[in-house]
Amino acid sequence: MGEEARRTRQTLDAQLLAAHAAGDAAALVALYGAAAAEAEAHGDAEAAAFYRTHAYVFALESGDPAADALHGALQAAGREE
Amino acid sequence: MTLHDTGLDPSAALSPALDAALEAVLRPIEAANGLPNACYTEPGLQGLERDRVFFSGWAAIGFAHQVANPGDVMPITFLGQPLLLTRDREGALHVFLNVCRHRGMILVTEAGNLPRAIRCPYHSWCYELDGRLRTTPHVGGPGTNRHECLDRASLGLVELRMAEWLGVVFVNLDGTAPEFDIWAAEAKARWAEFDRPVHFLGDESAFRLDVKTNWKLAVENYCESYHLPWVHPGLNSYSRLEDHYHIEANGFSGQGTTVYRPMLTEDGRRFPPIPGLSSVWDEAAEYIALYPNVLLGVHKDHSFAIILEPESLDSTREHIAIFYPDRAVADEAYAPMRQRNAAMWREVFEEDVFVVEGMQAGRHASGFDGGRFSPAMDGPTHAFHRWIAARLRGV
Repeated sequence: MGEEARRTRQTLDAQLLAAHAAGDAAALVALYGAAAAEAEAHGDAEAAAFYRTHAYVFALESGDPAADALHGALQAAGREE
Repeated sequence: MTLHDTGLDPSAALSPALDAALEAVLRPIEAANGLPNACYTEPGLQGLERDRVFFSGWAAIGFAHQVANPGDVMPITFLGQPLLLTRDREGALHVFLNVCRHRGMILVTEAGNLPRAIRCPYHSWCYELDGRLRTTPHVGGPGTNRHECLDRASLGLVELRMAEWLGVVFVNLDGTAPEFDIWAAEAKARWAEFDRPVHFLGDESAFRLDVKTNWKLAVENYCESYHLPWVHPGLNSYSRLEDHYHIEANGFSGQGTTVYRPMLTEDGRRFPPIPGLSSVWDEAAEYIALYPNVLLGVHKDHSFAIILEPESLDSTREHIAIFYPDRAVADEAYAPMRQRNAAMWREVFEEDVFVVEGMQAGRHASGFDGGRFSPAMDGPTHAFHRWIAARLRGV
């Protein structure tokens, strides 16, 4: 992982921790979705599925309309029923 | 499905002496004794009562208005059972065990409205409000949310048989009771004219009394009119003892009055009555205990329910809610009358507290034989004792 990617990762981690602390569901959905996209960009399908799962769970809990698309993406990757 | 197993051998809990005492309750009222002290003071009998009186019957656990809107959830602990009342997206009521099918974690700890799913706070298994298991994150390893050994269709929340009547939510905890409509058939037939939607119109129409008594004593006192002139002297002004009649039937008992004429305003204004109600209800009202634990009252213009939550052997929470048949009563113009009505009932129910607490204290008198009944006045109370005794004996 390059320096820029590392900084992006650190920023994302900090934002995720803050969103968890605040119970900010919309931010959790967006940030975990971004983490999944970033992992995918680096060819890490396992990490992408992990983060997308979290985005999906928080979208389900909060009624975020992104839930259906996240479910579809996980299903397409063979990760979800 | 039997959902509950105490591991208790029920027959072992009935000693010959206790069985004889319960048999004495079943005699004709002229010769019967009341339930023995042990039914009010003996911790060893609680498991038997829980299984044979509550879990195998239809127990009242809450009010439908507590989950008025789709997405509403309400955790309820009843006799130690963690339950969850939900109203799903289509508006249907459900009662579930409030535990995740994974590791048994409590799912919901506070009442509220959930936008879509119930998420277990432990490993985030998610359930729909109708109980279906929606997702099982990482259950097949990180990022894989399925596993061939876990069939989601069979892992939804454990749902209990439930019924709703007169604003009250009933559950059958062990799954063995007859259908609610059979269980409560005679009560529903008697009050068929009141079997219609009721409206809970605001917090002023609900209150709770915490009483230091066994729940059964609250039932016993509610059933009979004998105590009215002594404990509720205010009622004498318009509802005298001779205006009351007994009600004894299968699964419930209580009393009625032929002169329901409360004064809620100086000018005699009243709430709008149920349209088309039989004229017999113009000045009549009835009050029954639907066994085991809900006390109900119906009048032409409002009803109420008191759910008795047995907190311990000698402690009962009385959850009271008043309902109106006409939504128009929600209007601000009726607010003072709603408040007056609630205050009137609160005063009456509070007047009963010292007697049910006094009888509970009295049940520690080891020489007390359960007491005798007035054949003329105590029939509804004896009917309840008989029902309890029969269920405890398993007959």
